[in-house]
Amino acid sequence: MAEVMAQRNGSAAGQAILQRQTSFSSFPPSRSPSSISTRNDNKKGRSPQPPMLREDEVSLYSSHPHSRNSSLSAPRATKSKGPRKLRSQYPADSVENHVEYILVASFDIDRGSVMEHQYPGPISGDETMLAELMLPDQAHVRSQDWTIFFLHKDTSAEDEEKEARRERRRKRRRRKEGLEDDDATAGAEEDGKGEDNDEETDETDDDDLDDESEEEEDDIDGPPLVYVLNLVNTKQDNTVKRGAIVKAMAVCTRHSFLHIYKPLLLLALEEYFRAPIIETLASLYNAVNAMDLSLMPKLSILEGFILQASDAKDMFIEKFDQMIQQRMAEDAERDSLPSAASSGSDPRRPGNYAPPRDTHEFESRVNYNGIPVPIKVPTALSAETVGDFSLIKLIQTFSAPHSQQPQPFALHPHLTTSGAYTHPIIVLVNALLTQKRIIFLGHNRPSSEVAEAVLGACALASGGLLRGIVRHAFPYTDLTKIDDLLKVPGFIAGVTNPAFSHKPEWWDLLCDLPTGRMKISHRIEGAPVTEGLLYFQQQGSLLNGANGATPGPDSKSGAADPTGDTQFMDGLLQSIANRHGENAIRAKWRSWILKFTRIAAAFEETVYGASALYIGSHETEVGAYGVSGHGFVWPDEASRMRELAANVHRVEGWRSTRSYYSFVQDLARRWTKRPVRGIDLHHQHDRLRCLRLTHEQSAAIYLAFARAVEEAGEPSSSTSDVDLGSAVERSLTLSNDPDLQQRQPSEQLQYDTILQLLTVIPESNGGLFYISLGLFHPRQDVRVAVVKLLERIVDHPAGRHFWATLGRFAKLAFFRVKREEVGHGR
Amino acid sequence: MGASISKMMNKIFGSKEMRLLMLGLDAAGKTTILYKLKLDQDVTTIPTVGFNVETVTYKNTKFNVWDVGGQDKIRPLWRHYFSGMLGAHNSVPGTQGLIFVIDSNDRDRIDEARTELTRIIQDREMKDALLLVFANKQDLQGAMRPKEVSDKLQLEKIAKDHVWKVEPSCATTGEGIFEGLAWLSNNVKLPAAK
Repeated sequence: MAEVMAQRNGSAAGQAILQRQTSFSSFPPSRSPSSISTRNDNKKGRSPQPPMLREDEVSLYSSHPHSRNSSLSAPRATKSKGPRKLRSQYPADSVENHVEYILVASFDIDRGSVMEHQYPGPISGDETMLAELMLPDQAHVRSQDWTIFFLHKDTSAEDEEKEARRERRRKRRRRKEGLEDDDATAGAEEDGKGEDNDEETDETDDDDLDDESEEEEDDIDGPPLVYVLNLVNTKQDNTVKRGAIVKAMAVCTRHSFLHIYKPLLLLALEEYFRAPIIETLASLYNAVNAMDLSLMPKLSILEGFILQASDAKDMFIEKFDQMIQQRMAEDAERDSLPSAASSGSDPRRPGNYAPPRDTHEFESRVNYNGIPVPIKVPTALSAETVGDFSLIKLIQTFSAPHSQQPQPFALHPHLTTSGAYTHPIIVLVNALLTQKRIIFLGHNRPSSEVAEAVLGACALASGGLLRGIVRHAFPYTDLTKIDDLLKVPGFIAGVTNPAFSHKPEWWDLLCDLPTGRMKISHRIEGAPVTEGLLYFQQQGSLLNGANGATPGPDSKSGAADPTGDTQFMDGLLQSIANRHGENAIRAKWRSWILKFTRIAAAFEETVYGASALYIGSHETEVGAYGVSGHGFVWPDEASRMRELAANVHRVEGWRSTRSYYSFVQDLARRWTKRPVRGIDLHHQHDRLRCLRLTHEQSAAIYLAFARAVEEAGEPSSSTSDVDLGSAVERSLTLSNDPDLQQRQPSEQLQYDTILQLLTVIPESNGGLFYISLGLFHPRQDVRVAVVKLLERIVDHPAGRHFWATLGRFAKLAFFRVKREEVGHGR
Repeated sequence: MGASISKMMNKIFGSKEMRLLMLGLDAAGKTTILYKLKLDQDVTTIPTVGFNVETVTYKNTKFNVWDVGGQDKIRPLWRHYFSGMLGAHNSVPGTQGLIFVIDSNDRDRIDEARTELTRIIQDREMKDALLLVFANKQDLQGAMRPKEVSDKLQLEKIAKDHVWKVEPSCATTGEGIFEGLAWLSNNVKLPAAK
């Protein structure tokens, strides 16, 4: 990157180059001593972006100049001729490397932890600090250990990063132009060109609007994190002074799936013990960066959600097929042009391309030292999911002691939401949601174990929905970083040093892995009295166990479970006992977090009259599709108030956290891209599921679903017969780059609308079952509309998998209604 | 249940609990001493990355012994250990004991050792600590005797506010080690463990 800068600035900026070097730290840059004291008093300074609480939408948009720009540029972008090409998640011509740095540190018997080599260049920042993290406490007692830690770029580097990104985009563009012109040397000459272009020109010239918007997402919390996976080996060796060599090798990457590099690190560190030279690092660096992921299609956010929620091994296989076809077409083109073919023998051409066996992961390989190492990269990444961890293991660790011999917690309103005997995992997730200081301690355990627990906890509280948790996680840290750690308001840290347990002023919640027990610090800051709390106190409906009245152990019996958490945990543990698998458990947590955010939205609307967590209620209330209403659905008012009251404390605790502000911003951004806005599909589906509706009420919902999907498509195609064969093909050739503002009916919009509907009905939420009940509706027009809707879904590349899991009874009804319709209608 | 019984026994027999921090230059023999105490056998050790901690019971006193790596670059980290674990907490007042280990054969670095010891022992967090210096590696030819060690460390001066003792030791044979512990146990002014 520095070279890019140097080129750009020429000799005039010679000095500036040094300053432009990015600097890394294992702690987030935005920390001030005062932030600790303000940890629980809210609203300001928590999120890098100003909180946008209860601001109207206009100001929301205007604070995102990029989205405005891209909307301006949209008409120009759509002029591009022909079917849009499917893009790769990791294009072959990307300037982003898979791995940015390789580091080697060793434990010097005279000097302690020292950095030995860094490749391709020195990673700036505190080298000693890095070396200490690479050589975790007690590395000398085990022959092998893994650690994970994250690096934050200094804020001063942020602007530079943006600049570099723009530069990259320019380069990419030039490269494309260069390819078209068949001019290999264009790059160097063109470097001077376009320097005067202001940002807007850049944006409009760029056809990667999707890329753009996703990069923006990272920007919200600051520059992306660098994830570091580190392997440390201790080898007893009698020939060296003091009998042992301790060395560690780390890869630094922007990919959250850093665990894929484990086998490579094992090989490379072994090699480094043999050949402790920088070339060993270089060969690993080159090998991993030659990894070809270019055939992995880019998925939209909705597609990603659906893929994660589905077990179907061929979900979106069509996209993979299309990527292969595109590649084969390119290959053919290149082979026909001898000049282009000679411009570079492509090492990434295996000749035959095979679609993946399971679309959830993309298989590739890294050739390291002549060994082809198979690699599997997840296709759809959840937010805040880093590395490989097991929620099941985390849950079991803290559930077993609790179920055998429950111990009462010290009460804290944010944490013990079901009284002193609240399930520890609920206490943990409450602590994460309300941004407490959490420490996972694993004395005499490998540091990989505490790191895994920290990463699992992040995923637990995120559910793939909330963000800003990983950024303040320290999967492995040690006593020497304590001063910096304590400056972070709300953190999740993994340590192996038992000294932490003796210092309750350092943490709010201590999770001890060897014993499986959690402890709430007696030094924890109390929960402030808030408007919401007063509101429910006035209503006299505050029955939160944490608020003084200790329900005692009998309350576990489920008699008093206003939050539903006890029941949820029982179900979850049942699921684990029945071996439902990690994915099922993650899906359950996702739904718990989703429910929590929806309850929080209802809470804000109840207490404050409006909610930043529900955008666009004015549009859904218009009832454009004949139904209105939004948000979470309760069977009756009493249960609504009961559940809201039970959640007062943790919702209020969450409302001043980083994850809350990020979520509000995410919702605003997703809203701008939402395919259908005039109806809250989730709300309406919940009504079908939870409420006893009259026939007219349910008819309105079924008709609204059908209309929403139908009207999203071409007006012409909505009346014509469904062309089964071509529908799939058509939807594939479309771009996944929806026209943001105009929302014109199109096949793409219809495709996206169906996706949006499908995200509401994962298998855990009944799948198509409740929609299929419309096939038995007394009104014939409703039955026909449902058939039409289901036909659209059957034709949909993702929808067909939902159809496949629908019961036989419903399918028979489908065909019966279809026959009737033909009999009646034509 | 079992834990509460043993706590009761402790009360009856007046057992004590004591947290000790063991520091010293690298390769002084700290880890060897720790495992001699713990296992009563001579173990081969390699340089300590970070720390070792073990609980040793000797003469009705439960010693919680922390052994922290001694390389020069990581010595500034020592303070984290005594502020981290020896500071007042859970109603156990102040610091209890510092064991400083000297390689009695390493005359070249005795001044360096004095500098480090001075820095630690004069820290506020250490003001109530007993100081036990092991003049280790007495089995080697030409090793400094305890008197020489205390003179070279200028203990009269730097530890004048502390109760201190220099104990000649040989970690590999165990000579002097348990005597040192007994001295700590006898001199500690502590309430019995809860």
